[in-house]
Amino acid sequence: MGRDIAVLVKASLNPEVVRQGAEGAYDIDYTPLKISDVDRNALEEAARLKSILGGRVYSITVLTWGPSKARDKDLKLAVQEALAKVADEAYVVVDDSIIPGDPIVTSNVIVGVLKSRGLKPALILAGEASVDESTSQVPGRVAAKLGYSYVGYVRRILEVRENSVVVERDVEEYVETLEAPLPAVLSVTQEINEPRPPTLIQIRMASKKPLHVLSLAGIGLNVKPKRLIKEMRVVTVFRKQVVLEEANLEKAAEKLIEYLDKEGVLRI
Amino acid sequence: MKALVVSQRLSDAGELVAVARRFGEPAILAFQESALKVEEVAAYGHRVYRVRSDRPEALYRAAASLYESLNPKVIVGPSVKNVKDAMALLAGSLDIPLITEVVELSDGGSVLTYKRGFMSERVTMTAEVPYPAIALLNPKIVKPAEKAGRGEVVDFDVGDLKVNVVGVRAKELSGVKLEEAEVVVGVGRGFKSREDLNLAFELAKILGAQVGGTRPIATDFKWLPEDAWIGISGKRIAPKLYIAVGVSGAPQHMSGVSGSKVIVAVNKDKSAPIFIQADYGVVADLYKFLPILTSKLREKLPRRA
Ligand SMILES: Cc1cc2nc3c(=O)[nH]c(=O)nc-3n(C[C@H](O)[C@H](O)[C@H](O)COP(=O)(O)OP(=O)(O)OC[C@H]3O[C@@H](n4cnc5c(N)ncnc54)[C@H](O)[C@@H]3O)c2cc1C
Repeated sequence: MGRDIAVLVKASLNPEVVRQGAEGAYDIDYTPLKISDVDRNALEEAARLKSILGGRVYSITVLTWGPSKARDKDLKLAVQEALAKVADEAYVVVDDSIIPGDPIVTSNVIVGVLKSRGLKPALILAGEASVDESTSQVPGRVAAKLGYSYVGYVRRILEVRENSVVVERDVEEYVETLEAPLPAVLSVTQEINEPRPPTLIQIRMASKKPLHVLSLAGIGLNVKPKRLIKEMRVVTVFRKQVVLEEANLEKAAEKLIEYLDKEGVLRI
Repeated sequence: MKALVVSQRLSDAGELVAVARRFGEPAILAFQESALKVEEVAAYGHRVYRVRSDRPEALYRAAASLYESLNPKVIVGPSVKNVKDAMALLAGSLDIPLITEVVELSDGGSVLTYKRGFMSERVTMTAEVPYPAIALLNPKIVKPAEKAGRGEVVDFDVGDLKVNVVGVRAKELSGVKLEEAEVVVGVGRGFKSREDLNLAFELAKILGAQVGGTRPIATDFKWLPEDAWIGISGKRIAPKLYIAVGVSGAPQHMSGVSGSKVIVAVNKDKSAPIFIQADYGVVADLYKFLPILTSKLREKLPRRA
């Protein structure tokens, strides 16, 4: 078994930017991609563990949303962050035949990248959920396909031993301490660390690191998404958006109370 | 066999059985609480397989073996962490679709049709996947099934697991049911210390409100118990009035409060995204504004003072 770490990095649709298109349909083309927030925690953790494991770090990204031409800039930005932060190399799979993707495609492609390049990481780190779909399933799928052990929702990596890793896993009502044999896939939560943005020097160095852009044929794979999206609609909740910007806070409080009273939500 | 139900709690069993029956006679795989109280699960009248372990890996192995022998068209379960992890392993090993946080599910002939939230629930997605498929549902999307008869209970042994449990620690929980509260004050990272939350508690007292907060307030700072965190990965609330103080309005937080009748935001940053997601916003430093608001309310609502 190697000592390398692979980090799964998704270029997710940014949920802060949701716009309604024709007839309430979600205008997906308008939403930019960004690195999925929790993947930053996975990268930060990889940076911490790199010296402990002593191997290399590579990031793997599969483009889910297209068209690929229009997404190129956002995708590169997400991958550059992985390279700047910690990765020695980045693998990016871009193929319009698997767009829009689904978790079956994504997990098969990740495994395809590892197998076709002969990569055998000791640890595969990922975020607990992507910010667009948040289905939390790609890490588990990858573990099952590779025969790695799997722990999801890791809040703390306590120790990396010769043949195992000791972690704290967050469940709804309790926290477990677990020992998982290596190689392992771990999905991490945002509590695991405080991700620091890469430094200017790291950003500059990133452009010199290898970035492998691969197609499906390039990894010798033939998969197709199984999900067919029929409709996406923006959920509209009407909010009054009255903003009180008063220098006099007494007045602001009085006005607010008056509004709430009128709404009938103060039990006066 | 048409459907397999994975039940983790007695409270999920009825709803899951109701959905599973749409596809034919189900069998039930009982896990955690449902395994401990297996007789109550058997009261739906279907055969129950019991896994005596609370490990996702154990659930995965049991489900994989039942999948082989029963050949179900759909597996339904709750959208909770242990079941999600177990079903991700199963879906990966079989390369079949897994859908989570499902709010609508129906048989579309050769495909399974479903609806779920997307983009922090700011969008709903309707999609279809081919059978066989695994669908993890949100709670309270259907009426629970009626109990009828008594199913046979079969024990399931899953053998040695790869991942070992070293210890388990219960979280400190308040037991407060924020999801049932009529008024909620939500606190965010605009507060600088735990003591300062008193400003929110005093406001809450006058309003007869419960206090909840954003995820970092509960998990990173531990200023509130973990069942007081509101949002996509925490509690979903639907009060008449939600007052968010020092909360920026991240989509993951706001999806948990979208059912509120009236939303008020207090934030010192005029450009905070919460203002366009609120009915009434006050641009102010919470440290200056909350004491004033509380004392004015105290005059108006003397009975609570
Ligand atoms: C997968 C995933 C799941 C998540 N699930 C959840 C979830 O369920 N619930 C949740 O809450 N979050 C969740 N988050 C985190 C979420 O993205 C935000 O990070 C979090 O909600 C921000 O919390 P906040 O508003 O308290 O802090 P911040 O975003 O830091 O906002 C603090 C706000 O306080 C204001 N402020 C500062 N000082 C003052 C002052 N003196 N007076 C008034 N205002 C002041 C600032 O202007 C700012 O707007 C999740 C994230 C991910 C990636």
